[in-house]
Amino acid sequence: MKKNYLDWGELYYSLKKTLLIMRIAIVLLLVGFLQTHANDAYAQKTRLSVSFTNTQLAKVLDKIENESEFFFLYNEKLIDANRKVSIDAKDERIDEVLKTLFAGTDVEYTITDRKIILAPAFLSESQQQGKKVDGKVTDKSGASLPGATVVVKGTTTGVITDNDGKFSLALSAEAKVLVFSFVGMKTQEFAVEGKATFNVKLEEETVGIEEVVAIGYGTTRKSDLTGSVGLVKGSDMKSEGVSNVISSLQGKIAGVSIESATGKPGAETKVLIRGVGSFGNSAPLYLVDGIPVAGISNIPASDIETMNILKDASAAAIYGSRAANGVVLITTKNGSLGAPKIQFDATFGIQNIVKKWDVLNAEEWATVSNAAHDAAGLKRLDIANNPQSLGVGTNWQDAVFRTAPIQQYHLGVSGADEVVKYSLTGSYNSQQGTIETTGYERYNIRLKTEVTKGILKFGETLMVTNEDWRNVPSGWGSRADAVGAATIMIPAFKIYNQNAVGGYDGASGPVVNVGNPMAQLNLERNTTNMFGIINNTFAELTFFEDIKYKLNIGYTQNFNNNGKYTYKYDVGTLYTNPTNNLFESKGQSKTLLIENTVNYNKKIDKHNIQALLGYTYQTYEYKNSSISDTNLPDGIFVMSAARGEPNITGTKTQNALVSILGRAIYSYDERYLATATFRRDGSSRFGDAQRFGVFPSVALGWNVNNESFFKELFLNNVFSALKLRGSFGVLGNQEINDYLYAASITGNRNYPIGVGQVKWSGAIQTSFATPDIKWETTKTYNAGLDMSLLNNRFNLTFDWFNKKTNDILLNVPIPLSAGSSVNPTVNAGTISNKGVEFGFNYKGTSGKLHYNVFGTATHVVNKVIELGTGTQQIFGGVPMLHGANTTVAQAGGELGEFYLRKVVGVFQTDEEVKAYSKNGKLIQPYAKAGDLKYLDSNGDGTINDLDRVKCGSPFPKFEFGFGFNGNFNNFDLSIYLQGVAGNKIYNGMRQELEGMTLEQNYSKTTLNAWTPQNTNTNIPRAVINDPNYNSYSSSRFLENGSYLRLKTLQIGYKLPQTVLHSIHVQNLRLFISADNLITITKYTGYNPDLGGQSSNILDRGVDFSSGSYPLSRTISFGIQVTL
Amino acid sequence: MSSCKNDVMELLNPNEITTQTFWKTESDALSALAACYSQLTVPEMWGDRGILIYNGRGDDFFIRNDMQQVYQASAFTNIPDNKEIAGLFSAAYRLIFMANQILDNISQIPNLSDEKIKAISGEAKFLRGLSYFTLVNNFGDVPLHLSVPKTKEDYFLKQSTQVEVWNQIKKDFKDASESLPIVYDAANVGRATKGAALAFLGKAYVYTKDWDAAIVSLLPLTKSPYSYTLVDNFGDNFTIAGENNKESIFAVQFKDEPSALYNANKAEQMFAPAEVKGWFEAFPTNKLFEAFQKEKTIDGKLDPRMYATLVWNYEGAIFYNKPFSTFSTPFPQFIAMFKKYQNYYLNNEVLGSKGTVTHSENDKRIMRYDYVLLMLAESYTQKNQMDGTTGANFYLSQIRKRANLDVTKTIPFNQTQMIEEIHHQYMLEFAREEQRFYDLRRWGLLKEEIVNSDKEGKEFYVTGKSDYFPIPQAEINSNPLIKQNSNW
Repeated sequence: MKKNYLDWGELYYSLKKTLLIMRIAIVLLLVGFLQTHANDAYAQKTRLSVSFTNTQLAKVLDKIENESEFFFLYNEKLIDANRKVSIDAKDERIDEVLKTLFAGTDVEYTITDRKIILAPAFLSESQQQGKKVDGKVTDKSGASLPGATVVVKGTTTGVITDNDGKFSLALSAEAKVLVFSFVGMKTQEFAVEGKATFNVKLEEETVGIEEVVAIGYGTTRKSDLTGSVGLVKGSDMKSEGVSNVISSLQGKIAGVSIESATGKPGAETKVLIRGVGSFGNSAPLYLVDGIPVAGISNIPASDIETMNILKDASAAAIYGSRAANGVVLITTKNGSLGAPKIQFDATFGIQNIVKKWDVLNAEEWATVSNAAHDAAGLKRLDIANNPQSLGVGTNWQDAVFRTAPIQQYHLGVSGADEVVKYSLTGSYNSQQGTIETTGYERYNIRLKTEVTKGILKFGETLMVTNEDWRNVPSGWGSRADAVGAATIMIPAFKIYNQNAVGGYDGASGPVVNVGNPMAQLNLERNTTNMFGIINNTFAELTFFEDIKYKLNIGYTQNFNNNGKYTYKYDVGTLYTNPTNNLFESKGQSKTLLIENTVNYNKKIDKHNIQALLGYTYQTYEYKNSSISDTNLPDGIFVMSAARGEPNITGTKTQNALVSILGRAIYSYDERYLATATFRRDGSSRFGDAQRFGVFPSVALGWNVNNESFFKELFLNNVFSALKLRGSFGVLGNQEINDYLYAASITGNRNYPIGVGQVKWSGAIQTSFATPDIKWETTKTYNAGLDMSLLNNRFNLTFDWFNKKTNDILLNVPIPLSAGSSVNPTVNAGTISNKGVEFGFNYKGTSGKLHYNVFGTATHVVNKVIELGTGTQQIFGGVPMLHGANTTVAQAGGELGEFYLRKVVGVFQTDEEVKAYSKNGKLIQPYAKAGDLKYLDSNGDGTINDLDRVKCGSPFPKFEFGFGFNGNFNNFDLSIYLQGVAGNKIYNGMRQELEGMTLEQNYSKTTLNAWTPQNTNTNIPRAVINDPNYNSYSSSRFLENGSYLRLKTLQIGYKLPQTVLHSIHVQNLRLFISADNLITITKYTGYNPDLGGQSSNILDRGVDFSSGSYPLSRTISFGIQVTL
Repeated sequence: MSSCKNDVMELLNPNEITTQTFWKTESDALSALAACYSQLTVPEMWGDRGILIYNGRGDDFFIRNDMQQVYQASAFTNIPDNKEIAGLFSAAYRLIFMANQILDNISQIPNLSDEKIKAISGEAKFLRGLSYFTLVNNFGDVPLHLSVPKTKEDYFLKQSTQVEVWNQIKKDFKDASESLPIVYDAANVGRATKGAALAFLGKAYVYTKDWDAAIVSLLPLTKSPYSYTLVDNFGDNFTIAGENNKESIFAVQFKDEPSALYNANKAEQMFAPAEVKGWFEAFPTNKLFEAFQKEKTIDGKLDPRMYATLVWNYEGAIFYNKPFSTFSTPFPQFIAMFKKYQNYYLNNEVLGSKGTVTHSENDKRIMRYDYVLLMLAESYTQKNQMDGTTGANFYLSQIRKRANLDVTKTIPFNQTQMIEEIHHQYMLEFAREEQRFYDLRRWGLLKEEIVNSDKEGKEFYVTGKSDYFPIPQAEINSNPLIKQNSNW
């Protein structure tokens, strides 16, 4: 439950005598419940236990608000909130509690569903002078509002409504307009125009509009916001938390595209905000409580209060050179006013992979293999000679994949009083992988406190995270890793061999060197440990109420340890490792951030100014050393036992960023809004001449609903809010390696020389520097519309954007003949991303059912405007070992669109092959009946890479998500679906498995390969030397990537209050949850939501033949307890 | 403010020195030279991949299909997008880039004597020549980079004609031969000598059929001050013990280190049978097996070079200290396996000399005295000079004599017979030594010999296409000035 205390001290009038200034604290409930509909069931049903002795009334009311869904509305000057009360209520209804609290006072209370209005009884006694006008003030439901103020505009003349909401007021001749106001309600004005009676319905102030939004180096009211900011509350991330933080956001924020991490436990997720404007790192900038971090997958969802995604230039420009890919601001939870609250959550689940590849069994494999050899006129493999004798053989996928348990625990205590706010949490997460031997384990501790004393506020966030992985070893001999090997390993081979060193059997004979996947997983212990500390400490001084100076010191330190112990083994005849070997590497990174900011907030009449100036300095340093050695005795796993020759390496890298920044947010009369932001960054990654970059932005907003004409037209009966926004700005990107501007000399290029072959140390320049390298800059235009309808029940957001990235940092392929070992990084191109985003949310109620329906949709069009030399084509997307490129970036096209030879059919006869000719020359001279027919798109009479054509985009035309949350009595239900449409996926795994050109296992579909008897098929003939290149990268392996996924389905049950009371628990919820339950797709691979295996944007949409950890389906059970 | 901030951000790469601080001392130049030599040992050049690719297309070679693109290169089914061939192209140009750095920068080094500048430049030119030799031999017309690109535009060069490239190769070897020492002290054995430069210069002339110039370059190597001779036992040229022997003119040096100090030489593991932890990637065709048996020694036995080159199931055949009969035959259609360069006298190819998983340290002798002798014989034959101490027979007979063949048999040969005999001797002497395919091409015999063999993929050989590799697709894609070779 989140509270915002709004300062109403600036109300523009005062009432005589008692009401000089009104300061009323109200509570805004942000989640879960509907406040507008009368329903006394809650009050009847809810039972409270409250025990206080001689305590301020305000605290008691706070406590009740905290522990129930009730909230209080009252006029602070009429109700003595400082009065000391004592109460000892056990399991009592609210009216009984209130009766006790206000016994002996003149305060009366009105309970309407969860809303409780407090007003002094004396209001019923008329204290008005004169009688010219009268009337009644009610809320939307018709309930009277006692204590509402009615004043003559421009004067101090006014009254307060009585307990029935009635008032009467003498008016002078000058009185033209009456202003009706009540805390928590929208102020309304009515022209007097000779009317004598005013029956006024006040609408509740829109909750959403008054949300406070983190915008970087400060916050602003949502109504003042001019930029495009996506907001997710921690409470909305389904608190089962089985998925990692980011993947639970998939499809929930318009414009934010999230690809699942692979199924690898603890993997980072790929996030793209508003398309891809960069070849390099397209990940957004992540900040946790203001501290930049590399990723956020290791932060427990239950630690997150809010997550704000800054999408447009206006919002993100304050982060200048790092903001072009968007900024994700995470605010962690802190305590809220009241007694300590203890929260305990636990989840248990099981994971399974959703789909296995349908591959051949041993007998089937031998049959296909023999056919492929016969067709090529080559000798059959010895092991395949007698297919029937092989039987089913080994099912390698069954051996490798398993049902894996997952468990998570989270424990936290939080609380606050006027001086100290605190929150301390600890989490433990243990997850086995669905692949044998793999797993993940994580511990988190987080402490956040904030102390206020006078003008000084001091606070910190401290997060300590320890993570351990057992990884899938990288494939033996640069071949397939265990996942890939499980599909291509010939089923005729066995898993175990007791007589072999290491105990595993493997491939033998003239077949592809695939390492037995079970041997790979068990004979190589590949581990990663990450230990990280994130610390942010700040001190804030407030001067003259308006000026705040803040010093923020952030420090993060991460340690990573990688280990690899390889047992000695003989696996089949192809892999051998004669000694036990050990590799260990240790790395350490440090980030220091020092930020000085001054914030100025001032409201003068209708002018509201929020200004920020800052100076920041950030350094990063990474050091790494590794050692490897061989020949360890069995059973000993430490380096000093090694008896081989150690190999030691180490590297170090540093960078620095120095910035000045400023921002001004101005609003006039809550109608006209303007924001101007700028940041000047200096980065050590660039040479002298290009070191500094300036990133400005401006934005305008218009709260149309606050215009008088809007009210005069009574449009505010329809629109609770209507805002137009527009922004323009320039953002930067500096995500390139350090030191590129200087040519370095590469060492360790040694040669053995002399009679004894002694080391002759070699060092030389191996690549070209780009001394004039500079910032990548993105110009962004954004136009947005926010709308709330039906008394805030229906909210809509719509954004249009146009992002143009210039001087993209690009590894432009230069000719191999230039002799560089890597392509130089240069500024060479322009990419545009245009799109629209749409989000909606509807809160409704029907009887006892309270529900929320929400959804987002995003459409982004990406275009490469210019690239490299002009006609430059940059290829990527190599789908398999030594496979041919599948994607291209070139001017005029989409970034990384598929670019492939096009299959137009299967030759049914040799005559068809002969007929496919140009100028009497065969276009496919090596083809035979059953081979693929390729399109000779350039008409030159041969098929080669010049015949590649554009075949579609890896980027979805639409990404969408929609869901439903509802509760009925004590039950709640969440359903969330997410999907993409209009994209293609290149199925590299299928290419690997349907190729029939290598001595390995194949897909079941190859049983349907073309033969003279089986001609109605799109699988070409089996021929092992494949002279026609049927297995080459082509449109044959391109598939529709659209999908719709039931991502989350959760059913929860809250124990009734009566039961909770008897076990002294405030809240207890049980739930069952399913992740990735159903996926509807035509895609034939493991999963259409490809994990980010590669950071190269040209690899997007390519499902690699190896190395993809399949996504799992998780079914879990959880319990959440609040004490 | 910005000046102090600049200091904060003046972060030099702590891992590596940069060009601003390099090229200041003689030791900088020498370490650059070591890096050039080191490039010879990368897999794509004379490590495993290079060996397989240079040999693969010969009528004497079979490569199995698990390394698919190496296989395709050997079976004439490769396409321009073959990563292995691109690797060779790229590796050769990297060496050229490195050698050009030395040539461009050496004269700027203060206090370096002209003598040293000349010697170091000579080695750089030798290595550059070797690299262009590899390129022109495999790809035909290639771009000629003779200095380090200064601007972006310099990255892009159009192809020079084969003639131009050959002229540059000859110039580099000639310059090298004029500045390199005849011998090095013991600490520097293995570096390029004057003799090596002359031998490769001669080879360049032989490849361009300039027989007179070939003789001028090669003949001095047979005389003082050079002391090259054939070793008695042909097989000693392929063992670790026989490294840098009297017959070796230039060898790529490999060292067996488990650490990452040197490039790994996995060629021998590639060729070794499964039983000794090899990957049995390549086999000699039966055509080669039979070629060795065409002529018996004077005592009626098989050519000793056959025993040094191949191993098969003959009486008493021992391989890796085990009877040959205990080895499996994954490709029973081929009778023999390669023995040349294998570390067959160890128990296990993969264990290496250090007893850990590692790689062969067997040097690759890429220029030997026997090759010089055969080139001389060929050149004289082409000039129709067969007899006497200045004729083809004089040089050929040294080769035949070591092989214990009848040295008198070739005396009556006419030019045609002699050419055929020399072709035959090249085939036997240099089997698995990266010569066969190129020899057949320069003799115009590719089609005839490949079709007339048991080579896998021979049906895909196309005259005028398969003679050279295509220019790699990656070069075509990135360099608009490049034209693809014909028919690709």
